[in-house]
Amino acid sequence: MRSFEHFNARTMEEAVAILGRYGDRARVIAGGTDLLGKLKDEILPKYPEALVNIKSISGMDYIREDNDVLKIGALTRLEDIAVHPAVKQHFGALAEAAGRAASPHLREMGTLAGNICQDIRCWYYRYPNNRFPCLRKGGGRCYAIEGDNRYHSIFGGTVDDGCYAVHPSDTAPALIALDAVVRTTKRTIPLEDFFDVKVSATTVLDPDEIVTEFEIPQSPGKAGSHFIKFALRKTIDFAVVNCAAMILIEERKVASARVCLNAVAVKPYRAVKAEQAIIGQELNESTAEAAGESAISQATPLKDNGYMVQLAKIIVKRTILACA
Amino acid sequence: MNADFQQTPNNLCPYCSAAFETFDGLKAHVVAVHKTEPLPKPDGLIQLTVNGQSHKLLVAPEWTLYQVIHDKLGLTGVKMFCDRGACGSCTVIMDGRPILSCMTLAIECDGKTIETAEGIAEAGHPLIDSYVNHHTMQCGYCTPGFITTAKALLDRNPEPNESEIMQALAGNLCRCGTYPQHPKAVLEAARTLKEEHSK
Ligand SMILES: Cc1cc2nc3c(=O)[nH]c(=O)nc-3n(C[C@H](O)[C@H](O)[C@H](O)COP(=O)(O)OP(=O)(O)OC[C@H]3O[C@@H](n4cnc5c(N)ncnc54)[C@H](O)[C@@H]3O)c2cc1C
Ligand code: SF4
Ligand code: FES
Ligand code: FES
Repeated sequence: MRSFEHFNARTMEEAVAILGRYGDRARVIAGGTDLLGKLKDEILPKYPEALVNIKSISGMDYIREDNDVLKIGALTRLEDIAVHPAVKQHFGALAEAAGRAASPHLREMGTLAGNICQDIRCWYYRYPNNRFPCLRKGGGRCYAIEGDNRYHSIFGGTVDDGCYAVHPSDTAPALIALDAVVRTTKRTIPLEDFFDVKVSATTVLDPDEIVTEFEIPQSPGKAGSHFIKFALRKTIDFAVVNCAAMILIEERKVASARVCLNAVAVKPYRAVKAEQAIIGQELNESTAEAAGESAISQATPLKDNGYMVQLAKIIVKRTILACA
Repeated sequence: MNADFQQTPNNLCPYCSAAFETFDGLKAHVVAVHKTEPLPKPDGLIQLTVNGQSHKLLVAPEWTLYQVIHDKLGLTGVKMFCDRGACGSCTVIMDGRPILSCMTLAIECDGKTIETAEGIAEAGHPLIDSYVNHHTMQCGYCTPGFITTAKALLDRNPEPNESEIMQALAGNLCRCGTYPQHPKAVLEAARTLKEEHSK
């Protein structure tokens, strides 16, 4: 790795102040499992001048049940979320998603904030030594569109309609299905509005803004939630397609539903059509199948990723059925 | 940080050598008087307890924990394979968690307690014998990573079942394909530990 300035921040104010001074030339480091890979491979056109470690700030690693909401500190490790009894019992989708991300070791290191703030994994973008200076790095073209795009978006692209890199997070769809909000040093943002597709950025965060906490409302009534991931290997691998859903059933009919796919689009993809298809229906094989069908009704696959459409359909169906 | 560390001239202004009680004080001074950025480089002095021994080290910001343990401390049990967090061969136990030393910056580990395969062997942990008995290695390169991961599991869960063992070891890759032997070896080590305990 090339060198950088390094700060072990002791308070959030200090971390924000250092970031403010460096502008976009500094990066926050939490677990480091995503960021250090990028630095080692030197994929970025501009190597960061400074890293600001926030693990040295105490009191940001917690899971608490407060009046009808679950609060999770930004630095809470994925493994701790996956095994937490209250999360497992009331927020099944999140426990599953955290427990299926990466590998056991990476879950002991990776934080929830780092998971939603992580960068894209497009293999052109990630190719060492900035070999492919593509649109997402401020360059002139997308290499995936003519190249191998078997893991790219099935729902179109952006950054001037060019980048098809999918958002890789496992916890993001679960947090969106569970209607979570994220608190930062500046504001509170519904998780659904947190993601963005810009040159060198995947979130709406300002360069000096830090995620501090997640808040998830206790599900109304007896809503059930679930998460399913399809990946090539059971561990270590990123999702080819994943899906989380939260469904409330009243008098045997679906009263409300939130369904979110990820790894299929440039941002986590809320499958609104699937939700509409099951609301008011009984939950069974055929209605879940119809919801799966609706989820992919707007898919526009590329030359190598048609199979992801089929995967998305079946995973939506299975996730919905598992919520019952 | 140890008390004697705080005595080291951590908070000296790099421009005029004025001394400050706190880093914040120094920062305010640099900004106000020297009107400059970047901020002075913080000290890379860290203290690590590795296998029960305390070490004080001066590290560069970009050094990984792997580099420090393997290259500087000479504990060669920790192995580098992928250097990208994808194989588990560089696993060490840090404050009870099995973590990847290749994806950890040493400068962020001040005050941490670390255990490597060497420490586990020196302590006479039954995992070592059971790994030998069950032929759990061929080339042996991945083995220290498996051992540290298994030890962290047994510390938390002294009686794991086979599927819990497979799950805990799911981040460790073995090019020689020794996978089927690991659950057997870990189960045996767990039994031995239990017997030792009941004696
Ligand atoms: C081999 C491998 C496999 C992986 N598999 C998966 C997988 O299957 N699923 C998955 O979801 N992820 C996977 N990951 C990605 C990653 O490990 C996880 O997403 C992890 O949760 C990232 O968290 P971190 O704390 O290590 O992030 P870091 O690397 O510390 O940070 C990631 C990014 O987020 C920013 N950031 C971190 N914390 C904050 C904060 N509080 N506020 C603002 N910005 C912040 C950093 O600046 C950085 O840009 C994998 C990684 C590897 C190396
Ligand atoms: S999909 Fe996006 S990240 Fe990948 S090469 Fe195209 S523009 Fe770059
Ligand atoms: S060398 Fe660290 S995970 Fe492979
Ligand atoms: S024994 Fe050779 S890599 Fe595992």
